[in-house]
Amino acid sequence: MIAIIAGATFREAARSRAFLSLLGLYACAVMMSRLVGWISGTDGNLITANMVMSLQSIIGVLVAVATGTALVQTEIQQKTLYTVLSRPVRRWHFVVGKFLGLALALACGQSAMLALGLGYLALTGAPVNAWMVLAGALTTVEVLVMAAVSLCWTSLSSPLLATVLCLATYAIGHAVGSLPQLMYHLQGFQATICVWLACLVPNLSLYEYRDQAVHGLPISPEDTAMRLLYGVMWIALLVTVTVSVLRRKQL
Amino acid sequence: MSDDIVSYADVSFSYRGDWLNRIDALRQVTLAVPAGCAYGFLGANGAGKSTSIKLLMGLLHGHGGAIRLFGSPIGDHRLRARLGYLPEQPYFYDNLALEEYLAYLGRLSGMTKAQIGPARERVYQLLDLGDLRARKLKSFSKGMRQRFGLAQAIFHQPDLLVLDEPFSGLDPLWRARFKEVMALERKRGATLFFSSHILSDVEDLCDRYGVIDHGTVLEQGRIADLLGQAPLELTGSGPIPAGAADLADGTWRLSFPESDRARALASLPAGAEILRLERHRLDLEAWFVSRVRAHHGAGSPLAASAASATSTKSRGERP
Repeated sequence: MIAIIAGATFREAARSRAFLSLLGLYACAVMMSRLVGWISGTDGNLITANMVMSLQSIIGVLVAVATGTALVQTEIQQKTLYTVLSRPVRRWHFVVGKFLGLALALACGQSAMLALGLGYLALTGAPVNAWMVLAGALTTVEVLVMAAVSLCWTSLSSPLLATVLCLATYAIGHAVGSLPQLMYHLQGFQATICVWLACLVPNLSLYEYRDQAVHGLPISPEDTAMRLLYGVMWIALLVTVTVSVLRRKQL
Repeated sequence: MSDDIVSYADVSFSYRGDWLNRIDALRQVTLAVPAGCAYGFLGANGAGKSTSIKLLMGLLHGHGGAIRLFGSPIGDHRLRARLGYLPEQPYFYDNLALEEYLAYLGRLSGMTKAQIGPARERVYQLLDLGDLRARKLKSFSKGMRQRFGLAQAIFHQPDLLVLDEPFSGLDPLWRARFKEVMALERKRGATLFFSSHILSDVEDLCDRYGVIDHGTVLEQGRIADLLGQAPLELTGSGPIPAGAADLADGTWRLSFPESDRARALASLPAGAEILRLERHRLDLEAWFVSRVRAHHGAGSPLAASAASATSTKSRGERP
């Protein structure tokens, strides 16, 4: 059941206007990145490479939020899930299948972006190395975590509010990495808030390996595995929360 | 009870309203749909038809009482492989083509790939969808969506078809075709359970009916028994029996229910000549309105409008 739902979700997501438009936007932005490299006062090639890698994260997260927030709430509002849940499908099958389908579509989109970005960099003479592929893979994990975040928020609120909350989670998630340093300067309630934020929001700064990769700085396999495991755990937690919310939902 | 495909026993359900308020949608609903029958579930808008159906489908939960499907409690999700459901005003995924969508839903119902091909051809033929097979559903009109809705409900040849307002948004030609398809499904052996507020559809298709209003089942039974309540009208000449209306042409007319037939004929005065005995068709709409009106009570605005509708109807029938 899960595989069947995932397959249909993949086709539906990959053909959605938001998905294709944002991939088109990425292609245009990659072409423009050379311009930024040229006008920069420093090494233009490194700036271009940095931009291309960062665009993969930003556009990828936008795709994840745009498609992820439409995943459950829109199905409830438009009643498209009636024809699915009236079959021998459990609600958790539906949520997990939906997430896996979206994750597959996003992973394909990320691979396409990475191939396009690195291909463009190679063509324009900018530095390309194997670590950049690993950085792209870690960005994909970040995007999948954000897809799970959007799935979770959309089960709790409207698609519009879920979009705002997702973007806030993305911003806070990238700031979480610097919270431990900030805590040394804070006391009492403020320090407590820092600790809670660090626990409640996924630390997306773990996936910011792009800058180091462009400079060819290596990352250990253990470190990579830990970051991967951290992402998988967050995804599992968020999908579980979504399942428990949807199980109680009156449709 | 064991022959009932669907049964509701003292089912109550309430929605969450504002703050801590609950809105009662169903009150002690008890009804049974026997195997092989076509059951028309009648009710005005907001009477509780869709809520009852959604509970059966597992889309709503937290009800009181017991709902059984194929003799088992509805909690077992595997039972749903044996039913087909057309929701009210159905929506579907925009970016899937019709043939992909049917295959997807068929596989969710447990069909194999080998079964899907012939089943697709069958519904294309029944609902004239063959030319639309490669089109994405976002380009479908309301009527096309309704046709696809019925196609996906009958696709896996279910034992029970649950249709929520199946004729909504259809032109007269497609209404007639839908009725034919539903009759074919019944002939195949499927049980039909459908909601409607259009009484002629129920009369055409069903052999059983139930009326729900404000979450309470007012009445249920056989359509034949209901239609049998239509009065007989006896026209005669000669001595006028008690209770008969004297007509201008020297004849008289006596109305009585079918159940009083023998007594009425026996009590005719000596010399009275029977010219004709006719059964008038029961005006189901007027019957439904009067039934709901009686339930609402005289103070309700709906009762007032129902009263005016009934009186308009009877004025219109007068020669």
